Amino acid sequence: MIREISRAIASLTMINGTIPLWRRPISLIAVISTPFSFLFFIYLFGGPSKILLGAIGGVLFTIVNASTMLQTDLLFYKLDLKFQQIVASTPVNPLVYTFGLATGNIVFTLPGLAIFMLIIVYESHIGVLQILSVIGTLMVTWVIFSLFSFLVSTRVREMRDIWPISVMFSIIFGVVPPIYYSISVLPTTIQYVAYLVPTTWAAILLKGIITKNFTGMAIPAVVFVLEMMGIMVFTAKFSNWRLNRS
Amino acid sequence: MSMPLESKSLKKIYRNKGRKTVAINDFTFYVKEKGVFSLLGRNGSGKTTFVKVSTTQLTPDEGYVRIFGKDVVGDEKELRHMISLVPQESRPFPHMTPYEHVYLFQKMNGNNREGSKDRADTVIDLLGMKEFSKTECVNLSGGQKQLTMVAMALSLDVQMYFLDEPTIGLDIITRKGVWNAINRYKNAGKSILLTTHYLDEAAFLSDEIGIVSYGNFIKQGNLDQLRSTLEYDTRIAIRGSHEGLDLEQFGKVHSDNKGSVLFTNQENVEKILSNSTIRKERIEIGPIGLDDVFISLVGEDIEVDEN
Repeated sequence: MIREISRAIASLTMINGTIPLWRRPISLIAVISTPFSFLFFIYLFGGPSKILLGAIGGVLFTIVNASTMLQTDLLFYKLDLKFQQIVASTPVNPLVYTFGLATGNIVFTLPGLAIFMLIIVYESHIGVLQILSVIGTLMVTWVIFSLFSFLVSTRVREMRDIWPISVMFSIIFGVVPPIYYSISVLPTTIQYVAYLVPTTWAAILLKGIITKNFTGMAIPAVVFVLEMMGIMVFTAKFSNWRLNRS
Repeated sequence: MSMPLESKSLKKIYRNKGRKTVAINDFTFYVKEKGVFSLLGRNGSGKTTFVKVSTTQLTPDEGYVRIFGKDVVGDEKELRHMISLVPQESRPFPHMTPYEHVYLFQKMNGNNREGSKDRADTVIDLLGMKEFSKTECVNLSGGQKQLTMVAMALSLDVQMYFLDEPTIGLDIITRKGVWNAINRYKNAGKSILLTTHYLDEAAFLSDEIGIVSYGNFIKQGNLDQLRSTLEYDTRIAIRGSHEGLDLEQFGKVHSDNKGSVLFTNQENVEKILSNSTIRKERIEIGPIGLDDVFISLVGEDIEVDEN
């Protein structure tokens, strides 16, 4: 069973990641250009002391952006290619499908993530345990937003609707939350809204891990994991893997 | 041994913002033997909805569909190991080659590396796709792309293949390429449910044909059985007017904007041709074909409003 699942995930990763990246390497630019632009401006206006903040923001934004953009791929495969219909009539389940394609999307971010991680390690001198904690936080973020993308893609019926939707979610999840700044700079009301977005908790956790300031980290960690479980339940209940509600 | 397909009192209604559309009103039919069964009908007759129900994409509102005894609702998990689908208007990934499609589809369905490779080689060879199997799909013709989709579906070793209008929009030569592929699988003892609105396709490929119209299953049978539902053996197409001549006395008349088609028997042909009104018109005489059966059963030409 596990062997079959890994084969399915590996083949979907090739379809959505390895093969397109191999044949169209220029696509890399689309995924990493925005976080590197932010890093550049942070360095330009904040100086070398802010480069760590820019790299933490960059690594998180890259994951959130790539996972949010998965909506477009999923919808294209569903509506234009009818690939989802083909897969849905086989024993492959929606979770395997989503994570196979989501892993494919991550392939595009790997070079960018590697550079950001190098900057983080170089600037903060974090150890193996902290690196693993960073990776763990990023993985939970990836799971949350990949599931969310799947949920959205199964509810949208027109290809042209997904472009504004995915840009909107990219901003809501990747730019508005305090990724590149401290949450305390936001007005109180906006802070409450920001706390609803999983990216906020991911940013708090990452900053805590990387700056080795672990005080008060338990609550963000618990809320973050609860949010992941919430989105899992929500996606299972409200997504349309097949066409039953059409 | 269960029959390949049973559909009993199947009904499917689409609901959208309080509006109901009956896609399938009553599909009751049985496919008792393996081979190619074609659902023949115009656009909107319920063919694609039937495929979606049968491949566990949609749940029926009433009735049931069973494939080799497995219910599409109750036994859906088991059933998904037994079926394979080419959806209507599906397309391959532009950045991948046909070979990669088949190979990765195999792996996705649990086959190992060697097994997937072998299967991909076999199917590519069987469908005559070797020449373009390593070309990115973005550079292939419409027919080659369609063949890629068919190859993916046929690569699975299952009991029933659902091909939903697999040759739509293809030129006749490419269509024949797809037909050959389907025929090879039919000869290998597989069951295929094909939907089409091409009469020649249904006639060429099918062991049995089911005629559907506006959500209802009208009639099934092989070509000869369907022909025999008409009590006539000859068709006379009259392009133009035939005022003053009562064609009804010779048989059944179907009129459209091009003229009239008279279904009659051979013994009447001479009488009809001797009529002076008819002799002024352009007429075509031939044996009853599937298109005539369709017109007779459905009351409309299958090609009307096609575009």
